[in-house]
Amino acid sequence: MRFRGFLVVLLCVCLAVTLVATGCGKKEAPTQTTETPKEPVKIGGIFDLTGATADVGVPYAHGAKAYFDYVNSQGGINGREVKLIDIDYAYDKTKAVEVYNKLVKQDKVAAILGWGTGDTEALKQIIATDKIPYISGSYSEGLLDVTVCPYNFLVAASYSDQARAALKWIKDNWQGSGKPKIAFVYNDTPFGKSPIDDGKKYAAENGFEVVADEVVDLKALDATSQVLDMKRKKADFAIIQGTSNLTATVLKDAKKNGLTTKFIGLNWAADEKVVKLAQDAAEGYIGVIPFAFPYDNVPGLTAIKDYLGSKGGKIEDQNQKYVQGWASAMIMLEGVKLAGDEVTGEAIKEGLETLSGFETGGLAGPVTFTADSHRGSEKVRLAEVKNGKFEYLTDWFGYK
Amino acid sequence: MAVLFAPAAKAKVAAIIVFFLVLPYFVSPYFISVVNLIAIAVIGALGLNILTGFTGQISIGHGAFMGVGAYTVGILTTKVGLSYWAALPLAGIMAAMVGAVFGIPSLRLKGLYLAIATLAAQVIIEYTIIHWTGLTNGSAGIVIDAPSVGTMSLADDKNFYYFALLIALAAVVCTVNLFRSRVGRAFMAVRDRDLAAAVMGINLLQYKVMSFGLSAFYAGIAGALMAGYLRVITVENFTVEVSIQYLAMIIIGGLGSVMGSIYGAAFMTLLPIFLRTAADFLGAFLPNVAHFLLSMQTALFGLIIVLFLVFEPEGLAKLWKDIKDYFRLWPFSY
Repeated sequence: MRFRGFLVVLLCVCLAVTLVATGCGKKEAPTQTTETPKEPVKIGGIFDLTGATADVGVPYAHGAKAYFDYVNSQGGINGREVKLIDIDYAYDKTKAVEVYNKLVKQDKVAAILGWGTGDTEALKQIIATDKIPYISGSYSEGLLDVTVCPYNFLVAASYSDQARAALKWIKDNWQGSGKPKIAFVYNDTPFGKSPIDDGKKYAAENGFEVVADEVVDLKALDATSQVLDMKRKKADFAIIQGTSNLTATVLKDAKKNGLTTKFIGLNWAADEKVVKLAQDAAEGYIGVIPFAFPYDNVPGLTAIKDYLGSKGGKIEDQNQKYVQGWASAMIMLEGVKLAGDEVTGEAIKEGLETLSGFETGGLAGPVTFTADSHRGSEKVRLAEVKNGKFEYLTDWFGYK
Repeated sequence: MAVLFAPAAKAKVAAIIVFFLVLPYFVSPYFISVVNLIAIAVIGALGLNILTGFTGQISIGHGAFMGVGAYTVGILTTKVGLSYWAALPLAGIMAAMVGAVFGIPSLRLKGLYLAIATLAAQVIIEYTIIHWTGLTNGSAGIVIDAPSVGTMSLADDKNFYYFALLIALAAVVCTVNLFRSRVGRAFMAVRDRDLAAAVMGINLLQYKVMSFGLSAFYAGIAGALMAGYLRVITVENFTVEVSIQYLAMIIIGGLGSVMGSIYGAAFMTLLPIFLRTAADFLGAFLPNVAHFLLSMQTALFGLIIVLFLVFEPEGLAKLWKDIKDYFRLWPFSY
């Protein structure tokens, strides 16, 4: 009975805190009209720090947060402080809706840096109604239709464009006889399937032979049957759309079974972690790289180095996803800068749409947005793993 | 309608309804958006409680049945051209039919075996949705227009609130009355002892399948509301985690209790918000604790369910009743 009493008190406290947290009882005045130029610009962040994709989500979020910090240390945007209100949604699509509502309706953020394909797709209609510019970690082709999602912006080549670029590179470098045989390796989610149809279409138009579709789970620890199927069908190349874990599993099983297939992974399948997980099985693996590695020699990294140095950190400790988060935040805040003093969702959207060949100092491809196209870039680089490190095979190029 | 008995009870119900009607004028829009999610969860939880709490049949396919409802709305509005309002009841009926089909094995299977059979329903439905791309757009999902009444669009949280409230209220009233009818009593007889129920002349197959169908009907309506709220229908919103979450709702709220379904749905929606607020608050003093608490969220969920099962198996509904009784009888609590 005493325990039951404790349970009651605990529940009451929970309820009280939650009601205060959700703003019960107070009706907030719209801040848009009363905003003075001195107030900080609020940008929301929906990140995955503890969920299924936390391995890449944490460095991405740190990179984005670091850029906001960096901008504030440089005097902010148009003389105003920028504030990133970030929430961990643990890659839970139902929670993403609630988190989004909090950011937009309670915190009144002007724009949002998001994360996954599933939740960004699920929110795209609400985003359009609320007029919240949204830059997500997902580069799904489904977010590019400006009539359906006019407020979604893709800062890098879409998954489809990445797949097409990889195929174009294969075509240009194909020395074997006959048609190159292609396999697609992906997982059965909106993220995984996003580039497959477009990739197959491009392959068919450009004289490839698509021999296999291999579905591998994101958390798979074994892909032997899929790998053997590719061996049987004599695939020359395989395009992987997945995360580091899936890719490492496929590469390891491919080596174990003696495949000669050349694997090419799209951006979430190609990072330092794949090399770490797959060890020597990753040798010769090719990645489609839309963002710079921390060890690259590009001017944009100087700011990151200086920032981390001032915090007592080192750029060597960061990975490519950190750079990706930093660059995404940079592009978002460029839109805020162009929006001028009246920072609303519409103004940021218009600001972003005037970006033309915006340079992040080599951290990402030059970004261009127009009112009809939110395809920020279609350019990528390819890099091959040599001695445990990605080395660039090409300069920035697009499939067109 | 036998919900209302005495004038005092009538006044209480009227007060609650008035409270909910004026609520949006006193709270922040974010609060309303949270209530909207709770209202959808209440409908789904009521459905599962009819099946699990009242009929004693377990189901791990509830999330998929919600998906059937949502996709029915999506397909009927975009491909057939029906309005959302016409598609809404059809979504419930479609889900009910699918639910009834997957309920047939319940005649032979009980307990754990039935749980696994309904898990199969979840997997089969998910697979069908992802791979029948011609009908469902596969994993890309379906985008629908915001439903509206005249000039009032449900894209507005406040309008959606009244709509969801109406449906949730109807669901509650229907459920309460269901258990005053022969059908509801038959469900409970099946739960308590199916053999005895059969001896009393209850057709087990008929009532078990009916319970599955009815439960899936609620799920379908909840799914259709979810579709109307998000206006994007993707399979990822109806995974097995959703099914488990609904089971947790009715266990925490109280199995076999209508009010329990409401408390459970509210609790499960509010708990993550509470944990986040607590983490933010603590983070100001102890930066390391905040991150720890966030990653503990799932574990904490589990812990709470265990605590409830051990100390209050009848859930929040019983807990609330105990509190009321305590004050009603005070100071003579014997």
